[in-house]
Amino acid sequence: MTRSERKNLLKGLAFISPWLIGFVAFTAIPIGLSAWYSLCDYPLLQAPLYRGLENYRDLWHDAVFWQVLRNTFYYASMALPAAMLVSLGFALLLNTPLRSQFVFRTIVFLPSLVPAVASAILWLWLYNPQHGLLNHLLACLHIPGPPWLASKAWAMPSLAFMSLWGVGNTVVIYLAGLQDVPREVYEAADLDGAGPWCRLWNVTVPMISPVIFYNLVMAIIGSMQVFTVPYNMTQGGPQRSTYFFTMYLYDNSFIFSKMGYASAMAWIQLLIVLGLTALAFWSSRKWVYYQGK
Amino acid sequence: MACRLQQVKRLLNLILLISLIVPAAALLLIGPRNAENLPPELAKDCVIVDYWEKWTGREAEMMNMIVDDFNRTVGRDKNIYVRYVSISGVDRKTMVATAAGVPPDLAGLFDGQLVQFAAQNALEPLENLATAHGITAATYKPVYWKGCTWHGHLWGLISTPMAMALHYNKLIFLKNAAALRQVGLDPTRAPATIDQLDRYAQVLTQYEPPLIAGPPRIKCSGYMPLEPGWYIDSASYFFGGSLVDVATSRLTFCTPANIAAYDWIRSYSARYTPLSISNFRSSVGAFDSPQNSFLTGRQVMEQQGPWMANTIFNQNSSMSQFLVPFALEQHLPRVIRPFNYQWHVAPFPCAVPGLDNVTFVGFDILVIPRGAAHPAQAFEFLAYVNRQDVMEKLCSLHCKNSPLASVSASFFRTHPNPFIEVFDTLAASPNAHGVPQLPIWPEIHAELSTATEAIYLLAESPADALRHAEAVCRRKLDHYREIDAARQAKQPNSQINRQPFAP
Repeated sequence: MTRSERKNLLKGLAFISPWLIGFVAFTAIPIGLSAWYSLCDYPLLQAPLYRGLENYRDLWHDAVFWQVLRNTFYYASMALPAAMLVSLGFALLLNTPLRSQFVFRTIVFLPSLVPAVASAILWLWLYNPQHGLLNHLLACLHIPGPPWLASKAWAMPSLAFMSLWGVGNTVVIYLAGLQDVPREVYEAADLDGAGPWCRLWNVTVPMISPVIFYNLVMAIIGSMQVFTVPYNMTQGGPQRSTYFFTMYLYDNSFIFSKMGYASAMAWIQLLIVLGLTALAFWSSRKWVYYQGK
Repeated sequence: MACRLQQVKRLLNLILLISLIVPAAALLLIGPRNAENLPPELAKDCVIVDYWEKWTGREAEMMNMIVDDFNRTVGRDKNIYVRYVSISGVDRKTMVATAAGVPPDLAGLFDGQLVQFAAQNALEPLENLATAHGITAATYKPVYWKGCTWHGHLWGLISTPMAMALHYNKLIFLKNAAALRQVGLDPTRAPATIDQLDRYAQVLTQYEPPLIAGPPRIKCSGYMPLEPGWYIDSASYFFGGSLVDVATSRLTFCTPANIAAYDWIRSYSARYTPLSISNFRSSVGAFDSPQNSFLTGRQVMEQQGPWMANTIFNQNSSMSQFLVPFALEQHLPRVIRPFNYQWHVAPFPCAVPGLDNVTFVGFDILVIPRGAAHPAQAFEFLAYVNRQDVMEKLCSLHCKNSPLASVSASFFRTHPNPFIEVFDTLAASPNAHGVPQLPIWPEIHAELSTATEAIYLLAESPADALRHAEAVCRRKLDHYREIDAARQAKQPNSQINRQPFAP
């Protein structure tokens, strides 16, 4: 490295130093510490006591840990594909040229601006078995509505359905992707006699596959970290049927004062998310098409 | 040319650097500052005591009145100024601040957290300071003093307490007088036993047909352990049981008395069906709203604390001004006042003959976190709050009973709850019980809540659910003790601070 290159490097580092300091102090060091705490008994108010892999061994034998893991995967298995399909569907509809297109786009995007806690309160009323809109509509069809959030069978699907309320952000990303698809590709497909379904499947989807991939990765991460809505709507009940991984992690850290145990859970969560993301990346070679490659 | 370009580049770099450094320096020097929020007339050497409390709204305003009284009187004399800060999640924030070494001087916790904090050496033991201020076990009603102490130390002092009692709607009792008399029940009295409570509940419960299909809907509930369901863990006490053996700190979930208590909870689900109960509970409003089931007459009997008088008066004052307006009632003799109320209070019935005045008590507790900057000054405020006149003023404002052994006649006379003597008698009773004193009570409570849910949803029998919960909780408790022993062996300094702060 020449003198001027070294000088430039120092200058560059100086300019990004606010971010660097913030990253080291508030992200890198806490990540490192959480790895250390995961090997300790650490009740926060006392010094950490090294216990090796005991926390991980305890987690292996903790029935609630397996239950929250199952619940989280169950939720993800419903919410993730539903959100992907519904948001893509909305994006396709909102991409069709209409006179009041911007009105519909605004309507679809608006719910994602509502704070999660406010949404939770709103949906608590919609799901209310006695006064809720949902059961009222079902009653009009002479169908008795279930106690959505008080039933072990219905609570989780209800939360997954509610997650569709916030697809606005994903829809906007899809829309950006859809508008980026070159017109000439559609024209070529038209000339080849492709119908709407054929155009969607053979042109649109491959052309926006990088966007689908991006949304998939974000949805995987999001669905593994679900917290605010169930915490406010069901508090994990009934009988822990909506008790999620992040809720148990939170309870262990701040209610039960078991920071070491919670840190071990956080690392397991990171590994799960990393594994799923790696799987998505590995599979992307088979279905994601990048223009110009 | 190249040299000139170099000069321009250097200049640009300099401008860019200055444009970053100057605003940063300006922010540090003259940027926003914490609002000190202190009165200007305060002496420079005045000690500021930071007091974090959970209360917001009206409860905070009332505590602020006490704080202001202190600052005007004792505080001024002793050069102490208490600064009240309303904080949501005060327990978690106190925990984090204490761990970080910057705790408040005073914090208002919940009763169930005291032992958890004390076991982690997060609180200052207060017995020496208390004795110096003349506060001893004799100052308090026994159940409250017991709740403030653990392992021989005093860890906090009460700000406001409660005792639970049965609240019932007299008017609905009288409207159903004929039906009650038909089954041998007295419509002018509260049930005295659990069996009577169940029979009253059965007569007073009214149904309406379902909208489409399914079980009939509960229009009016006589009694339901789940409404409001806040004290469901205390059901054992009314059957002569206890979830924890106080003497040995052993879990005793599966004793016949406890199983009977949970079987009683289950019997309501079996009678009404979990679906009907769930539908009923979702059809009533929040506690502090005019749609509260007791206020709308949809719940005839329920377990509540003394504050219920305030809630009723604020949300449906007609229930508390049955004959004359409240302003006039204040001038009536005390024995006549209860007739002005559509509701009444009685000790919650008990299943065991001879076991009188059984109740569950709770309290908000003031603690001095470990490492607090001004523990002695903070205790001055604690001692002030525990003065009889101040405590009675605070408890009257919050519409609660007094935790102190000695209660003045004027407290009973002027209290906004006309039935406050019932709560006082209950709190002073030897059959009053508080939250079990276990260092991992929050974990035990979470497990117990899941078991209770399984019981009232008829998913498991009480014996099975309690057996499973006890096995899990026992493992957790053994595990905690094992780690605690290991910690004490490896880090002797981590032991609970045995040296109380000297006055």
